[in-house]
Amino acid sequence: MKPARFAYTAPDTVEGTLDALDRFGDEAKVLSGGQSLVPMMNFRLARPEVIVDIGRVGGLDGMSAANGTLTVGARVIHARLEAPAVIKPDGRSESLGGVLGSLLPAVARYVGHLPIRVRGTFGGSIAHADPAAEWCILARTLDAEMVALRRGGERAIPAADFFETVFTTALAPEELLVAVRLPILGDDWRAGFCEFSRRAGDFAVVAAMTAVRLEPATGAIAEARVGVGGVAGVPVRLGGAEATLVGETPGAELHAAAAEMAAGEVDPVGDLHGSAAYRRDLVRAMVARALAQGAGASG
Amino acid sequence: MSWVGRSIRRVEDPTLLCGAGMFVGDIGGAAAVRFVRSPVASGLIRAVRGPAYTIADLDADGVGNIEAVLHRPDYVRLAQPLLARERVRYVGEPVAVVVGATAAEAEDLAEQVELDIETLPAAVGLEAALAPGAPLVHPDEAESNVMLAGEMATPELAEALERAHTIVELEITSGRQAALPLEARGSHAVTERFGGRTTLHASIQAPHMIRTVICDLLGMPEADLRVVAPDVGGAFGQKLPLAREDAIVVWLSRRLGRPVAWIEDRSENLMASWHSREQRYRLRAGFNAEAHLEALQADVAANVGAWPCYPITWGVEPLMALAELPGPYTLEHYGVRSRGVASHTCPMSPYRGVSRPVITLALERLMDIAAARLGVDPVEIRRRNLQSDFPHISPTGLRHDEGTYREAMELAVSHVDLRAFRARQHAARAAGGPQPGIGICTFSERTGYGTPAFAARAMGVTPGFENVELSMDPSGYVTLRIGASPHGQGLETALSQITADELGTDPSRVRVVASDTDRTPYGWGSFASRAMVLAGGATYLAAQKLATQLGSLAAEVLEAAADDIVLADGRATVVGTSVGIEIAELARIAHHHTQRLPAGAMPGLAAQAGYDPAGTFSNACHVAEVEVDPDTGGVSMRRFVVVEDAGRLINPMIADGQIRGGVAQGIANALLEEVVYDDDGNILTTSLMDYLPPTVAEIPDIEILHLETASDATITGAKGLGEGGTIGAPAAVLNAVNDALAHLGVELNEMPATPERVRAAVRAAAGRSPAGENDRSTQEAPVR
Repeated sequence: MKPARFAYTAPDTVEGTLDALDRFGDEAKVLSGGQSLVPMMNFRLARPEVIVDIGRVGGLDGMSAANGTLTVGARVIHARLEAPAVIKPDGRSESLGGVLGSLLPAVARYVGHLPIRVRGTFGGSIAHADPAAEWCILARTLDAEMVALRRGGERAIPAADFFETVFTTALAPEELLVAVRLPILGDDWRAGFCEFSRRAGDFAVVAAMTAVRLEPATGAIAEARVGVGGVAGVPVRLGGAEATLVGETPGAELHAAAAEMAAGEVDPVGDLHGSAAYRRDLVRAMVARALAQGAGASG
Repeated sequence: MSWVGRSIRRVEDPTLLCGAGMFVGDIGGAAAVRFVRSPVASGLIRAVRGPAYTIADLDADGVGNIEAVLHRPDYVRLAQPLLARERVRYVGEPVAVVVGATAAEAEDLAEQVELDIETLPAAVGLEAALAPGAPLVHPDEAESNVMLAGEMATPELAEALERAHTIVELEITSGRQAALPLEARGSHAVTERFGGRTTLHASIQAPHMIRTVICDLLGMPEADLRVVAPDVGGAFGQKLPLAREDAIVVWLSRRLGRPVAWIEDRSENLMASWHSREQRYRLRAGFNAEAHLEALQADVAANVGAWPCYPITWGVEPLMALAELPGPYTLEHYGVRSRGVASHTCPMSPYRGVSRPVITLALERLMDIAAARLGVDPVEIRRRNLQSDFPHISPTGLRHDEGTYREAMELAVSHVDLRAFRARQHAARAAGGPQPGIGICTFSERTGYGTPAFAARAMGVTPGFENVELSMDPSGYVTLRIGASPHGQGLETALSQITADELGTDPSRVRVVASDTDRTPYGWGSFASRAMVLAGGATYLAAQKLATQLGSLAAEVLEAAADDIVLADGRATVVGTSVGIEIAELARIAHHHTQRLPAGAMPGLAAQAGYDPAGTFSNACHVAEVEVDPDTGGVSMRRFVVVEDAGRLINPMIADGQIRGGVAQGIANALLEEVVYDDDGNILTTSLMDYLPPTVAEIPDIEILHLETASDATITGAKGLGEGGTIGAPAAVLNAVNDALAHLGVELNEMPATPERVRAAVRAAAGRSPAGENDRSTQEAPVR
């Protein structure tokens, strides 16, 4: 359980990082906390030639809110999302309110254990793209945008395009994920997150996130997002369940119907921690509970 | 004032808690050894290419084969090479070995070794290995994979089953487990340049026995090998048998003339150390109308892996099941067939409790199922069946000494307030959602047995006795050298308490020396919940002898009768007077003024003693309270109560620690931990993301109450308790899970009760009964 030989570089700046990525191309792997990458290297499942450690790069660990969007720097550690705070234009720190402000802590507590949460980073998790990782599910469900830099260019990649398959993203070898943009979700939104794992801190067997926007006048669901992890190579959105919800009024019966739809539209592959049939059962339970959680928050 | 019975702090802890322990991996200064292991479950070795040593090198040096022997007619005797010869028999079997400057380099070298293996069909699971035409694990030595088959029956078993009022049939299975010590295995060997003596430091439980077998294999005198177990980070039986790797490390250090070390990594430990307890029990039990268990017929099969372990052999699980299945009950008619079945999987060693967690699971599920069938409360059916007249002789001839089987259960039940729980449960069933359940488990724990019990197993070597050597130095401090090999249990502390009481001194003046063949008398090490009884008994006897010597000397010096001397508080005093002398001063006299010794007395203060009892039974009742989520199958532990009777407690705090650790492992065995192979024999659980030990979040507070029954089975009155936690917890937890879901018609008799299995049982029950369907529909509203 010792890694294969590798070279190591730790640039101080974003520019230096981009230079290194440009130079080493797909021989390089970015280290941002290392809570998944390092164990994979120890198992020799990952054998990067060059490690580009961004732990010394300044300017990647900020959180700011503007125009209904929260921008989370790639090197923000998980623990900071347990009590998310943003820096105001006047330099003061203010805790993030709103629906996203309560959703992030509710999700963060499922991420690993405390030692992982104080080393591992939000951007590291997103770029690692484990299909059962909480932040990947959140990014996919809320249609986050991943901000990628390369020498001489920047692009924003929608979550729908970002996650390609297990541990594989749309990031090019010379690109660095620098931030993730999340919608703050106004007061008319209701969100919930529910996860089933074998032990506290484990990756989810199945986790579900739901977010619905209610018509203020009628209380009916105007917009619905249902995302689940643990059922495919990437976190997935469940259009059938979303369609079941839209136009209806939240309630136990509707939630059960959406959950049933969700269980029917996933196509999981079984593994050691759960057969396909079992994962369907969990999708049903997790989606129903996430919806109920959201409804509870509204009441 | 007695030191025995007090929860004094452990002398072991400051070192360990300050990170100052010395484990094998801390020694350093050695080249790194890495084993190249078979990637396939079964195959013929065509060639091994690369910078590695193979069996050919061992053969050229005349290294012998391991022969783990049981003298039984049904036992298949094998000679096991230290590295695979011609054939590989499980994924992880060591085929070749490399030596590198660092662990990473050794891993690089190992990757360069090419194993050319012709893959053959493998028999992996128990049923596959038993199936007609199954691939044979040892085709040249055995005609089937059944490596031993024990059978016995009491004379009137068939008639007793025939006349039973109710027959209950039951099949229970246990998934394969790994003992998972925090410190994996490891060894470090240095051979002196002049003289050629080798010192082996290894993470093991029985240094003297390991020295003997390694010297036998390498053809060297035992005097030329020193074996030391430094701090050992948990063992649980996994470090009792000879590790082939340790013998090879000694061989390499002698062959290469340089220090070498093998530090097992977690994947190796999970894949290739030893596993345990992949077992299946089929029970047919006859109860009379009063719910008394009259007759029990059992068929037991244990998947024992590809090779036996030395010296215990692969008989240990099936034969323990055969002998101890009747448990704490007054069963009269008993018959059993118990087979050890080889397969193309990692070999098995004893693991904390050996077969008894599964025996207990089988019996305790039987009791709950029978109770339900007969309309009797689970407490009441046990009340009617537990032993209460002692000594009780079991149908297999085991003598149960004084115990408190019923009393422990009554105390546990009153402590948990069963009535209040049932009210909560009733409300939860009406409300739906997570369902509370409670499970009871009563059991006995056979402990502290010496040579007579081991001799009955007919092993090639017969473990048993323990010896100690006790001496007082001129400063009045005491050194106790023991053959047992404690590794975290707190034995040093407990033995110092026994010693201090007999010598009238303070435990802080006692130093215990263990786990070093150069510095301790021959002994069998620490396993089978035996050290407190065996080493404790020997310590007690030696301390009495030393006390006699001190008494005689004091009598001489104080001009009093030896019978009138009392040793207490560091002084030897003439009873009823203030005339006395410091024990430390006596120690000076015994060494430096031997002209003052009584006529004929030996200079110095030293005594030795051995102890070798027949054995004893501890007993306990465990109660588990769980909450089960029928939608996910998730089980969470809510409460765990233990009422333990291990006789006289030397140090109650240490006893509680043993119980807590054992219960935590038992809960993990019940709910989480399982070694899984695929059908081709590839192991799927080689990291702690896949083999799931519990975190602190999965283990509840464990409430412990004690009974202390006096028993003359041991000289100190202490019984062993090291395995009880692991033995009782799985049955208590499984009974609780079943109780939680009883209203849905669920019956689950397989451990671990993983969420997927629990959920499948809920689905199966719903499919069977209309009531189940209705219950489910209240939790999951139908689609519109």
